[in-house]
Amino acid sequence: MITLLNRELGLFLRPEDAGAPLEALPGWDSLLLFRLVAVLEEEAGRPLPVAEVVTAGSLAEIHALAVGL
Amino acid sequence: MVHALLSDWVPENLDDPELRPVLGRDWHRYQAMRHHHVRERFAASRLLLKHVAAQAIQAPPATVELAYKPGGRPYLRGCDQIDISLSHTEELLLVGITRRGWIGVDAELEDRSMLVSGIERQVCTPYERTMLSQVRESDRNQEMVRLWTLKEAYSKAIGQGMRFRFNEFGFGPSGHPVQVLRPDGSPGTGEEWAFGTCRVEGRYTASWALYDAGFGDTDDTRAGTMLDEGLVTALLHQPAEAPQPAAEATAATDVPLTGAGVAA
Ligand SMILES: CC(C)(COP(=O)(O)OP(=O)(O)OC[C@H]1O[C@@H](n2cnc3c(N)ncnc32)[C@H](O)[C@@H]1OP(=O)(O)O)[C@@H](O)C(=O)NCCC(=O)NCCS
Repeated sequence: MITLLNRELGLFLRPEDAGAPLEALPGWDSLLLFRLVAVLEEEAGRPLPVAEVVTAGSLAEIHALAVGL
Repeated sequence: MVHALLSDWVPENLDDPELRPVLGRDWHRYQAMRHHHVRERFAASRLLLKHVAAQAIQAPPATVELAYKPGGRPYLRGCDQIDISLSHTEELLLVGITRRGWIGVDAELEDRSMLVSGIERQVCTPYERTMLSQVRESDRNQEMVRLWTLKEAYSKAIGQGMRFRFNEFGFGPSGHPVQVLRPDGSPGTGEEWAFGTCRVEGRYTASWALYDAGFGDTDDTRAGTMLDEGLVTALLHQPAEAPQPAAEATAATDVPLTGAGVAA
């Protein structure tokens, strides 16, 4: 997912950023969160539970929601 | 609404132990931040916020204590007649402060690319999407930035952040009185809400949302009269003076706290 985000959203995230609090990621903000949802929905071919995604604390948590864990 | 540039408020030494009492409850959040720029922005926003709040309640910045409601909404501990809101983007810091009720503020680079795939569906109501499609293409992105900052400002004012879905409430076209609209474009809020958008620092769009709770325009916001009695006693025993920012910001702290005084 980190590779996908860096490619699609022009970020420079590292694998170890996956577990970090979202607010600790450089350049992270709520618009990027919406863009991430759009990218993941396109990739997964189904809608994501947006209400849960916006309260997720890290990219790892969002990934778990995206793959339906 | 008070705005400042990040560079004017970044402390010289981000590891200065003096920052610990200034950041108070935010210290642990700050410690979890590893990236230099993220830490700069966090520390600078707290210094500005405390400075602005201190001016409003006429108390030393070190005595201003920031706390958070469960959804993340910031507030001034022990000072419940004043509401605050915060936004930071790129080089801009923005603080909203009012004694009238609730406030939310948001800023974004005016040319930030917003019309990217899938976003409109996540963020706009059907009414807004129709409205945007009627805006000249060259102006459309800027109009979307205006809508976005109004949505963020409103959702911060009601303390919801993004929990309140952005495609379930909206706003009308620019050049008209601003109010919250339902997805079909019918009115969603009444006279008690006021909104505004302005340009700051020549390249940011900033919006505010203000709910007038009917507290009136309290003239006396000095700490002694606004704070809980117990807190006043506690504050009077706090000796630490906040470290001053590298330089005084261009913050418009002389804007009267009527909520309508938008720093343009
Ligand atoms: C509030 C929110 C919409 C603003 O996000 P943003 O555009 O990325 O950032 P802004 O700089 O404009 O605003 C951030 C400020 O909003 C304030 N804020 C956060 N949650 C808030 C809430 N529920 N109500 C009012 N204000 C809130 C905070 O003061 C925050 O600043 P801080 O992080 O330095 O404390 C978004 O952060 C949010 O919904 N947060 C709650 C859910 C969450 O934490 N999601 C993961 C982070 S994106």
